[in-house]
Amino acid sequence: MKKCIDLAEELKGLHTLETIQKELGIKRNTTIKTVSLLRKEGLVETIGGGRKKRWYRINTVPFRKYGNSGLYDMLNKYSRIKLWKPYEHRIFGRKMSVEEAIVRAVVSGRIRTVLVSLYLFNHVKNWSRLYKYAKEYDVRRKIGALYDVSRTKLKVRRMDERIRSKLLKSKDKSKYIIKPFKSKDFLEIEKRWNVCVPLNKADLEVYDEW
Amino acid sequence: MVDVKEQNDIFGLIGRKLKRKIECFVIGGSAMMYYNVKENTKDIDIVFLNEKDRTEIENILRKEDFTERNTRFLYHRKKNVPILLQKYDMRFDLFLRDIICFWLSDEMIERVEKVYEFGDLIVKVVSLEDIVLLKCATERAGDRADVKEIIEKVGIKWDVITEEVVRQTKDREIFSVFLYDFLMELKEDLKVDIPKEVIKKVRTIGEREMVKRLGK
Repeated sequence: MKKCIDLAEELKGLHTLETIQKELGIKRNTTIKTVSLLRKEGLVETIGGGRKKRWYRINTVPFRKYGNSGLYDMLNKYSRIKLWKPYEHRIFGRKMSVEEAIVRAVVSGRIRTVLVSLYLFNHVKNWSRLYKYAKEYDVRRKIGALYDVSRTKLKVRRMDERIRSKLLKSKDKSKYIIKPFKSKDFLEIEKRWNVCVPLNKADLEVYDEW
Repeated sequence: MVDVKEQNDIFGLIGRKLKRKIECFVIGGSAMMYYNVKENTKDIDIVFLNEKDRTEIENILRKEDFTERNTRFLYHRKKNVPILLQKYDMRFDLFLRDIICFWLSDEMIERVEKVYEFGDLIVKVVSLEDIVLLKCATERAGDRADVKEIIEKVGIKWDVITEEVVRQTKDREIFSVFLYDFLMELKEDLKVDIPKEVIKKVRTIGEREMVKRLGK
């Protein structure tokens, strides 16, 4: 452990395999072994992988996560666009569902969070649960409007008709998702739901990049 | 002593008993445990933004057999002292926005790095820089060693510290003077590596503020 902490102190920060190799002056295989040792002690967090370059964040204190995934972990897990976390959000004693994540993203009032949450409509399994959370946070019409917006660009599962009609009949206190933003392109959706959508068609183009 | 698991368990218990959402801020050793800088803590320090929330948590803890302790021994001749509640070796220090000579500013609230939800209890963990500042305000045994641990293990952003000192000193106690003493002790007694410019800046702020107040 002591050796690992010394090593972590030397390497503290963001690295790729190549930068670690260069810094320690060791072979590629030895570098992989070193990262593996540090990971066992919880001193490495891996970012990327797959088609992307793999990055290693090395720290001198172990990375430990408490509780279950919070809002930003859920959004990053399901959405193609990834979000930077303004803070670490974790939930204890229960697990956050996709339906709750969508509603809480809308409540967050952050434009990028709302944009990222659109992709999660494709992962909704329980429409009544979505309605329940939307009612709890008083965003029923907003959820309906954002669902329609997501369908203009993304492949999204069809919403249960009963839930849709319940959402349409509901009343939200405020009609702004993010005050004072209104859409120039989704006027029909705004009119149907009596909600101001803070997105334009150009905003959804980020999904084309993937 | 309380470890992170016991702390999470008691937060979970409070969260289950609450009937509405309550936000609080953990500071000191409790916050350090979430950053993995400390294994256990003597007390769980919590800051509330209003009296109603504090009373509600206090009532829940009292129902769980926590009893009030006198603050005189721990916070002798200090103002803005917390409510101390203890059960066996677990102690809660419940503060209300003002923490001795310090106060929870809006910027500190914005700097919160971790938000943990225990049912209806939303626990916000203040940043490491703010933990250091608050350790200076409470000045209890072991606080200096804790700060040494934070600076050496994780490192802190010194510019955040100096900015907050200016804010804290405005129209209130001369916090920069306390911080200057605290940093000097850390540097000289515990041999902590603190940049010279930071100490100089804190000292200048303190001196300027003292001259201003003495002139009044």
